[in-house]
Amino acid sequence: MAMTRDPKKALQAPIVTPNTLWTTDNPRAYGGQPLAEHPNLELARYDATGEGRADDARWSGALGAIPTKADIVLDLIRANSLWPLLSGLACCAIEMMSTATPKNDIDRWGMFPFRASPRQADVLIVAGTLTTKMAEPLIRLWEQMPEPKWVVAMGDCTCSGGRYKRSYSVVQGIDRVMPVDVYIPGCPPRPEGLIYGMMKLQQLIKDRRGHWPERAIGPTVPDGI
Amino acid sequence: MTTPLTKPSLDDPRIAIPAASEWYEPAPTAQTERQAEFLNLRDGEMFINMGPQHPSTHGVLRIVVKVNGEQVVDLDPVLGYLHRGVEKLCENADYHQAICYTDPLEYVASLFCEAAPVAAFEKLMDVEVPRRAQYIRVLTMELNRIASHTLFQGWMALDLGGITPILWSFIERDEIVDMLAALTGQKLLYNYYRIGGVNGDLNHEFMSRLGTWMSRAAAQIDSNLGLMNENEIFVRRTRGLGILDAATALRMGVTGPNLRATGVPFDLRRDHPYLVYPELEFNVPTRDEGDSLARYMVRIDEIRESIRIIDQVLHEMPDGPVMAKLPRLIRPRPGRAFGAVEGPRGAYGVYAISDGTDQPFRMRIHDPSFVHLQLVGPLTRGNLIADTMAVMASLDPVMGGVDK
Amino acid sequence: MDRALATALQERFGNALLAPVRQRFDETEIRVSIADAIPTLRALHDEPAFAYEMLIDLCGIDTGEEMQVVYHLSSSQSGDWLRVIVPGIDRSAPRVNSLVSLWPGAEWMEREAYDMFGIIFEGNRDLRRIYMPDDYVSHPLRKDFYLADDASRSPAAGVRNMERVGTPVDATRSTALRKSPGA
Repeated sequence: MAMTRDPKKALQAPIVTPNTLWTTDNPRAYGGQPLAEHPNLELARYDATGEGRADDARWSGALGAIPTKADIVLDLIRANSLWPLLSGLACCAIEMMSTATPKNDIDRWGMFPFRASPRQADVLIVAGTLTTKMAEPLIRLWEQMPEPKWVVAMGDCTCSGGRYKRSYSVVQGIDRVMPVDVYIPGCPPRPEGLIYGMMKLQQLIKDRRGHWPERAIGPTVPDGI
Repeated sequence: MTTPLTKPSLDDPRIAIPAASEWYEPAPTAQTERQAEFLNLRDGEMFINMGPQHPSTHGVLRIVVKVNGEQVVDLDPVLGYLHRGVEKLCENADYHQAICYTDPLEYVASLFCEAAPVAAFEKLMDVEVPRRAQYIRVLTMELNRIASHTLFQGWMALDLGGITPILWSFIERDEIVDMLAALTGQKLLYNYYRIGGVNGDLNHEFMSRLGTWMSRAAAQIDSNLGLMNENEIFVRRTRGLGILDAATALRMGVTGPNLRATGVPFDLRRDHPYLVYPELEFNVPTRDEGDSLARYMVRIDEIRESIRIIDQVLHEMPDGPVMAKLPRLIRPRPGRAFGAVEGPRGAYGVYAISDGTDQPFRMRIHDPSFVHLQLVGPLTRGNLIADTMAVMASLDPVMGGVDK
Repeated sequence: MDRALATALQERFGNALLAPVRQRFDETEIRVSIADAIPTLRALHDEPAFAYEMLIDLCGIDTGEEMQVVYHLSSSQSGDWLRVIVPGIDRSAPRVNSLVSLWPGAEWMEREAYDMFGIIFEGNRDLRRIYMPDDYVSHPLRKDFYLADDASRSPAAGVRNMERVGTPVDATRSTALRKSPGA
């Protein structure tokens, strides 16, 4: 049996499926059009009038900028009891579980309760390869998490696609679909690495850095990149 | 119909919720006969979606369960949430790189995922592996088998609701995995086997950790077992659940401990021997009942057999090189080879086709968990929703291998 | 290498085999045509001389000129793996008969072959995609489906600023709203 590999000898019209996420035909979903023109999302109006600023759990404080003592205490509370969402997708989930177990105990920082429901979780530790089929459920999970919420990209596959850089079905880094606060490289990162990343996240929370203030729905990788 | 990627969450306060229920997905249309049967709801039935994110689905598996009250009428597992395109990536990579791509498939038993393609490539290259390397491979594979079965034990308890056994399992598993990390440098995706041998000889750190572990391994396992074997809740929930008989198992393509729990003593180490298994003495544990408890007990017995094998290997390990002399560029003659090993979940096989270049033409990976997930439906029919998890935990799938 | 198996196969299926029985190490390989595939497998399963009760693997192959379906079987009578190759499947409209009537466990493996190659298995009552989403248009493992060429020129988005060497990109971080996700 002759086996051909040379693309020139192959079919004239190759089927090349680009490695894009699904875009939608549905004009209502905000994947298909600029968010500002979306009929149902009143984002622009909501942010412009500032009507939600008192309601949601974002940074508050005097004049919206200067943190008060209560905010510092709130930041300490949030940092020291971050409850992760059980979102282990692949091999990094085993290392995440290993971090939760007594040898590398993450309960020392208050992070043992891995919540099954996104409504009760603070931080989404995406551990494992994100595929294009799983992207939609993961984004729904992230959206269902109440604010304040943070995202930790654990492992090479979530930071940049990792060893699956050329794959047709892997999202090349979860920051293409959601804003990420901490990237933890490694394949898989050791539990000590995950703990270091979570401690960095605690620093971010206390210093009020990270993506939180300018949260946007959708990916934070700018156009043209 | 394209599925919209992002739908605004109904709880986002910045969205004005429309009056009509336009956000709800329309009912899926059936593409096949079987799906039409599944989607046909009779009176009193409803669908429950155990979605891709679930505490007990061993990874990202979505099961659509059709229930009548609490009783499961039918199941439809939806896979593909972790499909990474490994077979296609292997076709575009060297033979050495292809072995690296196979590691994360069954990530808890990753040395088996390397042993099968390495066996297939060695057949293609017609390479004889040195004796010491074969013994080292058997040693590390059996250690990995024990680590995987220990993790299975913890997962099974976790899926049934018990939190303690998984913490204890991870303590056990961390010891073995740290041992392998001293040898290979990695805790999970070892990347240790090469075509023609292994990547490095045993070192002092590994041997001392192995000695410490062996001296109390058997006793430790027995004491951990007392947590579950004699636990009335565990036994009553798993005994008689999901009974699989031998004829059905053979027809469904089941291999590994799931098949041995039905009474068929098929083990690749015995029936299609590879490496130095013909020279080692070990039993092939089987049970006859075929229920979830039997599948659990078979794996526990296998842990004990693995300790026995490790003991023999340590006594009989010869000296010598650990890597055969091979050219740097692996370019086998055109041909086909099938290499299979007995993994902790079943027969893990790789069918490799070479076309004479330095990239495999086709590398087909057969994962046992893929075949076993077909059983979740038939075995759970008529039981309760919580039994879905018990059955699935006893079949021990790993979604990385299922989805490739 | 089981020589007795080779002679037994040659005697029993002589006229159905498209090529002589090949053996290498512990594998025996036979080739049958599309029409003879299921009867041959049924005979291998049912007859006590062969007793190939275990289906280990079912996969599709795309050689660039044709497609093939390959079955791997195991028996308690012989220590060899038996590989049954069904060559000569047309690439533009691949159809073979399904093995589900003989081994119900082949259903998902055939679904995978359909998803990855487009091979239609007649008789499989559940032939839909298993790995890719339901509205995916291509069959990824075909030889005319190409992967992205280079990581830095992935078709999804251009070049990330860190992957480009020497040319800084001014990344403007707009607080609102992308044109479309990921692109």
